[in-house]
Amino acid sequence: MNPAAAMAPGTPLTPRLVAEGLAVAFDGRTVLGDASLAVRPGAIAVLEGPSGCGKSTFLRMLAGLTEPLRGRRLLDGEDALAMRPEVWRRRVAYVFQQPPMFDGTVADNLRAGPKLAGRSLAKADVEALARRVGLDAALLDRAARSLSGGEQMRVAIARALANDPGVLLLDEPTAALDPASAATVLGLVRDLAGEGVSVVVVTHSREHAEALGGTRYVVADGRIDPRPEDPCTP
Amino acid sequence: MHPLSIPFSRLGLAAGLVVVAMLLSRREALGLERELAVGALRAAVQLIVIGYVLLLLISHEHWASVALALAAMLGTAAVTAARRVEHGPSARVLAPRALVAIGAAALVALVPVFACIVRPSPWFDARYVVPIGGMMFSSAMNVVAQVFERIFAQAHAEAATVEQWLALGATPRQALASVVRAALRAAMIPTINGLVTVGLVALPGMMTGQILSGAAPEQAVRYQIVVMYQLVAVAAVAGALSAMFATRLLFTSRSQLRRRW
Repeated sequence: MNPAAAMAPGTPLTPRLVAEGLAVAFDGRTVLGDASLAVRPGAIAVLEGPSGCGKSTFLRMLAGLTEPLRGRRLLDGEDALAMRPEVWRRRVAYVFQQPPMFDGTVADNLRAGPKLAGRSLAKADVEALARRVGLDAALLDRAARSLSGGEQMRVAIARALANDPGVLLLDEPTAALDPASAATVLGLVRDLAGEGVSVVVVTHSREHAEALGGTRYVVADGRIDPRPEDPCTP
Repeated sequence: MHPLSIPFSRLGLAAGLVVVAMLLSRREALGLERELAVGALRAAVQLIVIGYVLLLLISHEHWASVALALAAMLGTAAVTAARRVEHGPSARVLAPRALVAIGAAALVALVPVFACIVRPSPWFDARYVVPIGGMMFSSAMNVVAQVFERIFAQAHAEAATVEQWLALGATPRQALASVVRAALRAAMIPTINGLVTVGLVALPGMMTGQILSGAAPEQAVRYQIVVMYQLVAVAAVAGALSAMFATRLLFTSRSQLRRRW
């Protein structure tokens, strides 16, 4: 059986990532009260909503960087709390809105994740990662911080992919990019989903949400709901 | 040789030196006059009192009174090192950890020296144990204060990078490694500089004091060498322990960076 076909969105597979009734509060103010989401392998979930509605906080909880007050997070049926946080985070990769570049070259950055686990990536692996995100191999020896915003975003995605995660969480990946770089990154995200990676994207741009083509959700009133069909949308 | 003594009347004259600093502070509008006056007075009172305490300890030799004096010094050092840091936990949380770091560092530096190198008799002889212990506490106190200050400030300033490491599967220790390394290096450097320049620029206080009070310079120098080596161990142990405590405080049990205190 063709694995790509089996992983295409819409096929009745068990979800890879499940969030059930997540709640979080800051300084006594409830940001999310009952947020749930399920994402199948190869599917893209797009979260939209006004700023301050808790989209990023929800993503941070999925990444294990913020602890929910209530609720469960499951990866392939396994509870986050049953896993060491480092293991969870290698499998559920999180790319920040403005991902910090580490000291050193682009190649150093791509090697960072596996190195933490005691693995060193061969040159060919690093080049393959760069190809996967459409980074020119000539950039690998450049200082990561000298790259443009769009290039840095692709370095950040490649750096996350180096751990071979099953889930990719992206927080406003196009917010700081010019239209051309944004289009490249959106295409890259679709390709990764095509390879079977489950993707959760937070965006406030309706245009980018449409370009991603996944299932769209609205984050509001502390909940996550499927986006109602809007007949007026062109 | 008998050392030249300083009567109280002439000690008062020395206060004129502080007045020089206060006049300059006023002229340059530094606003430090009050601090200088209070500091100078506190230093004099504290030293005069500790002089009598030492006299008492030396004349009524008992291990318990020496232990009590050391405990008071250690407690004061811990409370001073654990002053409230910005973007970090309260002094109440830091103080017990500072106590352990300073205490352990001093033990590592003091026990082998008094057991094998200086060997006072009795072993708790206040003449040796109190001043050398005090130097160790004081050095450890500065290292701990600096390590706490730097680690909490840097972890706050570089929170995004620390969390980026966590997101890639780093353990808290790995995520904070560069912050800890910078803090420890900065805390060790004054001690290392001290090793390199001692005798060329400054004659250390203890050695100078011994020579002024009539000890043979050659013996005073040997004491100073031992003390300087002790200070190296103190800086390393106090730094490593306080960095470990700071790292533990900075992360939750689920390895998340704490941003609120």
